[in-house]
Amino acid sequence: MWLLLLTYACLLIFIAGITWRTYKYASLPVHLRWELYPVAHEIGKAYGGSYLEELDWWHRPRKINLLGESTVFLREIIFFREYFHSNRRYWSFVYPFHLGLFLLVAWLVTLLAGSILTLSGLSVSATTANAWLQIVYYCTLISGIAAFVLGIFGTIGLLVKRSLDEDLRNYTAPIDYFNLAGILLIFLTGLLFWMIEDPSFSAARGFIQGLITSKPSATGPLITITIMLSALFLAYMPFTRMVHYVAKYFTYHKVRWDDEPNKPGSGLEKKLQALLDQPAGWSAPHIQAGQSWVEQVRSNGAPDKADK
Amino acid sequence: MKRRITLKDIGTLEGQMIDNQKAGLSALPAPLDNPDDEPGIKELTASQKAKFDISLDGVSAIGLVKPQTREEEEEFVKKFISGLKKLLSKENNWTFLQPLMLSLENCAKCQNCSDACPIYTESGRQEIYRPTYRAEVLRRIIRKHLKKEGRLLSRFTGSDIDLNYKTIARLAELSYRCTLCRRCAQSCPIGVDNGLITHEIRKLFSQEMGIAPKELHQLGTVQHLKVGSSTGTSPKALASFIGFIEGELEERTGKSIKLPVDKEGADILLLHNAGEFISWPENIEAFALIFNAAGIDWTLSSKLAAYDAVNYGVWYDDVQLARIAARHAQAAKDLKVNRMMVGECGHAHKAMLVVSDRVLTGDLNIPRESAIPLLEDIVINDRIKLDPGKNRFPVTLHDPCNLVRLSGIVEPQRRIIRKLCPDFREMEPHGVDNYCCGGGSGFAIMDNANFADWRDIVAGRMKLKQILCAFQNVMSPEVHKYVCAPCSNCKGMIRDLLARYKLTEKHGIHYGGLVDLIANAMVDIKGQFINWEAP
Repeated sequence: MWLLLLTYACLLIFIAGITWRTYKYASLPVHLRWELYPVAHEIGKAYGGSYLEELDWWHRPRKINLLGESTVFLREIIFFREYFHSNRRYWSFVYPFHLGLFLLVAWLVTLLAGSILTLSGLSVSATTANAWLQIVYYCTLISGIAAFVLGIFGTIGLLVKRSLDEDLRNYTAPIDYFNLAGILLIFLTGLLFWMIEDPSFSAARGFIQGLITSKPSATGPLITITIMLSALFLAYMPFTRMVHYVAKYFTYHKVRWDDEPNKPGSGLEKKLQALLDQPAGWSAPHIQAGQSWVEQVRSNGAPDKADK
Repeated sequence: MKRRITLKDIGTLEGQMIDNQKAGLSALPAPLDNPDDEPGIKELTASQKAKFDISLDGVSAIGLVKPQTREEEEEFVKKFISGLKKLLSKENNWTFLQPLMLSLENCAKCQNCSDACPIYTESGRQEIYRPTYRAEVLRRIIRKHLKKEGRLLSRFTGSDIDLNYKTIARLAELSYRCTLCRRCAQSCPIGVDNGLITHEIRKLFSQEMGIAPKELHQLGTVQHLKVGSSTGTSPKALASFIGFIEGELEERTGKSIKLPVDKEGADILLLHNAGEFISWPENIEAFALIFNAAGIDWTLSSKLAAYDAVNYGVWYDDVQLARIAARHAQAAKDLKVNRMMVGECGHAHKAMLVVSDRVLTGDLNIPRESAIPLLEDIVINDRIKLDPGKNRFPVTLHDPCNLVRLSGIVEPQRRIIRKLCPDFREMEPHGVDNYCCGGGSGFAIMDNANFADWRDIVAGRMKLKQILCAFQNVMSPEVHKYVCAPCSNCKGMIRDLLARYKLTEKHGIHYGGLVDLIANAMVDIKGQFINWEAP
């Protein structure tokens, strides 16, 4: 039962942490434009052009391709194209590492699906007559094994590279090794419990069923260690930079590709006006303490005072 | 073997952190492939060394004067911490807080950005110039000294940086060893932007501590707002420049064209970088020639600050950025024009069309455009008579970062050149993958102590290589070659590069703007508009 309680608690912390982190970024004020081209939602401008290339753009309707934007974003997430093109050696470790993590999520999804089906009275196994149930079974098996194997390969590769490559080592803190080692441990114990205790992942499915029904299932020592480590890691992750997957949405969609023009009378303009009415509290001689941005802008500052 | 510089060294290493020795620099292609011909960075005089803090790399960009007492040092550190807190607050830094927080909190330290940075690679991979170096120093200062991580935790997170005068002084200088070209940001899979972090460090020093290079602040934005232009040109001086330009234009082309100034109700208010009036009047002349021939309804403004498109605030100070942007828009409003248009000035494009787009509200929110699409329209749609045969010389195009990667204006200038220049050759890489000229973010106009040496030899090195590579098969001085740089600051930088390495004199490499090429191809102008005799 303690394992179930620990998992519930860690899941709650994880959800709260991710929500907090997302809210933290989302609630920051609208910023000045700082886009970087190519901007993926521009139509017909994959070379990096913008609507600023159009004559009289101000009076033309703005057309954006959200599907194109999502495609570019997903392609980057799924294949790590930037690393592939600019740093193939690093990609050969960082990609399997992340692919291992993606497959781990896929494995959990298939386990959840299998658990719901089992609870509904269906049998998820290799020998079941229902082809769909067999597919769920094999998806679980393949995603789980692939996740562990790729994850171990990628994590060891990253650990070795970070330790040996001076360019990386100089910037790697003990916490970075700790995080990688933690993930490696989870992948390793996962692989071991599959090999030794649970070759069909039926015990893993049993644990998920237990989570759904709040009834603990029988678990062996290796799966217990794996679940415990995973749960603790899940609770820890939102408070580290390992949640860059949350940040990545914002860095791309809210900074790099945020080229929304400030059209007169728009909601954006209203938001900006409110921010410009706030005081700017900087202390350099050319800035008037306590004055709003609008007031600062009206004045020339104090140019005769000695800024260095 | 020399010990490798670490992050911690910024606050502990005695003396200069690195020497910018010739030996470490990347090799140049022919005809500059003899390292003995390398000009080198001049060492400062004893009095300069005594005055300026050059503990970073022997170079002084900002002219930081060393504090004389311990109290002054402590005050310096205190002010920095106060500025850092403001930099991370919604109230004081709403302008860039979201991108800053995202970049500070999510770097995976994979160093993918390092090879994207021409200053880092061309310097011989000097550790302190690595895009992540200054960013990581700032991150660690925040963790240890703002979030107050204890000794044990800060060791675990690697935040073991001393916060003392040395660290801060070096960080201030280091924020002027990056041209804000943001090639590093483009190469980051997570979207972390070390260029932005550099920009924010500069802001902290300027907005809180009043520390910025004099060319950007006192002689830049302050002079711009007070006298009318960062060049020091007053409205009265502008009138005489315009008279001179009209005279020269007539002499050069035989055409008598009056430059429209303060024409109320004109369609377009054209804003030039005022550097053109002084250093490249042919650019102003070419614009007048083309617009006049195409029947464009345009005007210049003689109003204080509005005859100079530059906005140096975009490189170091949001308040100064907003002040200048508002002056430009106010002039457009007063003249009741339909739109403002930026001439050939890269950073003015970014400042006016992109960054300060979110500073101008209400009646100052006036349509703003680049002149390049209009030029494209004139050329491509044959609104004036042009003969590409007049441009039969090798031409390469320099892409100003502010125009391409940071404003997305990439193809119009190419379509013009492809149509008008039969021997057009692209630099590699180009477009949004271009390299900075080395003069970006104010470097082109900064010349404190030996900074210009460092700028030309280190920051401009990659561009120099690209120019040489573009013209490898035509290096004879008899063949006129043209580097087209549609940006005043880039032109200034390329001028200095060509002069330092004697490339015009010895190899016939010239430089100029985009409109110069268009004017040169105009059929009703006798001979060449481009003056090949000019240095």
